[in-house]
Amino acid sequence: MATPPVSTTPSATPAANGPATSAAVPARSSTRDGGSSNLGTFGVKSGLAQMLKGGVIMDVVNAEQARIAEEAGACAVMALERVPADIRAEGGVSRMSDPAMIKSIVDAVTIPVMAKVRIGHFVEAQILQSIGIDYIDESEVLTPADEEHHINKHNFKVPFVCGARNLGEALRRISEGAAFIRTKGEAGTGNVVEAVRHQRAVMSEIRKASVMNEEELYAYAKDIQAPFHLLKEAARLKRLPVVNFAAGGLATPADAALMMQLGCDGVFVGSGIFHSGDPAKRARAIVQAVTHYNNPKVLAEISEDLGAPMVGLTIDANLKGGRLASRGW
Amino acid sequence: MDAYQPKKDVIVGILALQGAFAEHQVALQKLPFQKKVVIVLVRVADDLARCDALIIPGGESTTIALLARLAGLLEPLRTFVKRKPTWGTCAGAILLAQAVENTKKGGQELLGGMSVTVARNGWGSQVESFEAPLLVDGLRDPDQTFPGVFIRAPVVMSLDPKPEDPPVEIIARLPAGVLPHAQKLVSSDEDDTDPRDPRTIVAIRQGHHMLTTFHPELTKDNRFHEYFVRACVIPSLP
Repeated sequence: MATPPVSTTPSATPAANGPATSAAVPARSSTRDGGSSNLGTFGVKSGLAQMLKGGVIMDVVNAEQARIAEEAGACAVMALERVPADIRAEGGVSRMSDPAMIKSIVDAVTIPVMAKVRIGHFVEAQILQSIGIDYIDESEVLTPADEEHHINKHNFKVPFVCGARNLGEALRRISEGAAFIRTKGEAGTGNVVEAVRHQRAVMSEIRKASVMNEEELYAYAKDIQAPFHLLKEAARLKRLPVVNFAAGGLATPADAALMMQLGCDGVFVGSGIFHSGDPAKRARAIVQAVTHYNNPKVLAEISEDLGAPMVGLTIDANLKGGRLASRGW
Repeated sequence: MDAYQPKKDVIVGILALQGAFAEHQVALQKLPFQKKVVIVLVRVADDLARCDALIIPGGESTTIALLARLAGLLEPLRTFVKRKPTWGTCAGAILLAQAVENTKKGGQELLGGMSVTVARNGWGSQVESFEAPLLVDGLRDPDQTFPGVFIRAPVVMSLDPKPEDPPVEIIARLPAGVLPHAQKLVSSDEDDTDPRDPRTIVAIRQGHHMLTTFHPELTKDNRFHEYFVRACVIPSLP
């Protein structure tokens, strides 16, 4: 499904304004030297996410893995020091990665490079923006730095992706300036069940909202704690007003295709690739699965002989490292 | 129009391996032509065989090229580009170029088709992505600027048509004062005001092919889509 077009006027750049609606998302932008162009508008922030659609974003911990991911067809890489499965196993506080390590990955590949900051840690975000990272993930996988506030993402030229478990959470993040949403899933488990739950919740709530009249939408906005204008926009478009990827627990090509058929625009794969038996082969298979997600014949071919998948964890009260998806407010 | 010709649909394919192909589909659906524009999302060679013309969307050019190879589409695409109208936006423009700078280690597979050299990510990282208004002759309502959305955009480094190639026509340049400083020309005295600087070129046409380094599909303005069908596709039909 098409993500809605960006507005053409730099002064009011909503993510998704139809011909008859007012600006849904405010623009923050700075002007280039000559005064005739605009940097960091919401249009170019959400636009980069649109270019990533139908693609796979892979977690990598060093330049060598980043190169493997690029050769396997990743549309972007997420640079981090420990993949979620290791964060779970090792415990402790997880923070933004060393900028030197992130820069070595930026230098190694030509595709966009993303990196994670802790929820609410706007200084980590300032640091990543200054080294020229392409996208920031304000991520529940790291230990939150603020248990009440998220980063005001409008203040940045660099775009942000944020996790969400339901429609209200997704729209709150968009109202804070996120240009890209992903399901939270349950990272580092190799278990897709939570990502499915979150994607189904978002789609079901949008379908519900799409048949409501305005009075009902006002009440529903209060109910799910979402800004009314963004809820109205999602109801009109019958989808989130920004690009929406799956993340958290995906481990196989079939997992990726499942999330695409549930309405996601693309997928993140974290521990699932480099914790598997044959990372290059599995990565390439997942990339193909996202393109041919509606073609079971192709999916069968690419799912053959992939070697061992990552070890999966059941998600219950004993889950080591606890439930990461409950972080975020 | 030839009165004897039966009215036939125009079949425009959109390469739908990765990237913003759905946005092109939306823009094409609203075109005001007498001929019906039928849209085919191209994922395998059989899809491509039906098309009169092709749009290669924005996305990641390395990913698109790899998926094309794995789907057995690379050679059919190269053959298609030699014979039929093709338009590449951003990543698509990179694939249509005959040479590319700043490629990934080990180089990158291209389709070729246009006599141009481009540099990938010519502006730098995402924080340098921008919007700029473009004045474009040849579009409907040429006095109205076209909203250029440049996202990690490639930069045109040189136009190098051989004598036997169709001439290259420059359709649009950046407004004055906007120049990709991240990308230095090899043989230049760095005169930023030189109106012939190739780095200011953002849209060209050569024969039935078109290339834009920006993203008309991300706007609500479909004049470039109209232009492609009117000026490149319809004249090429048998």
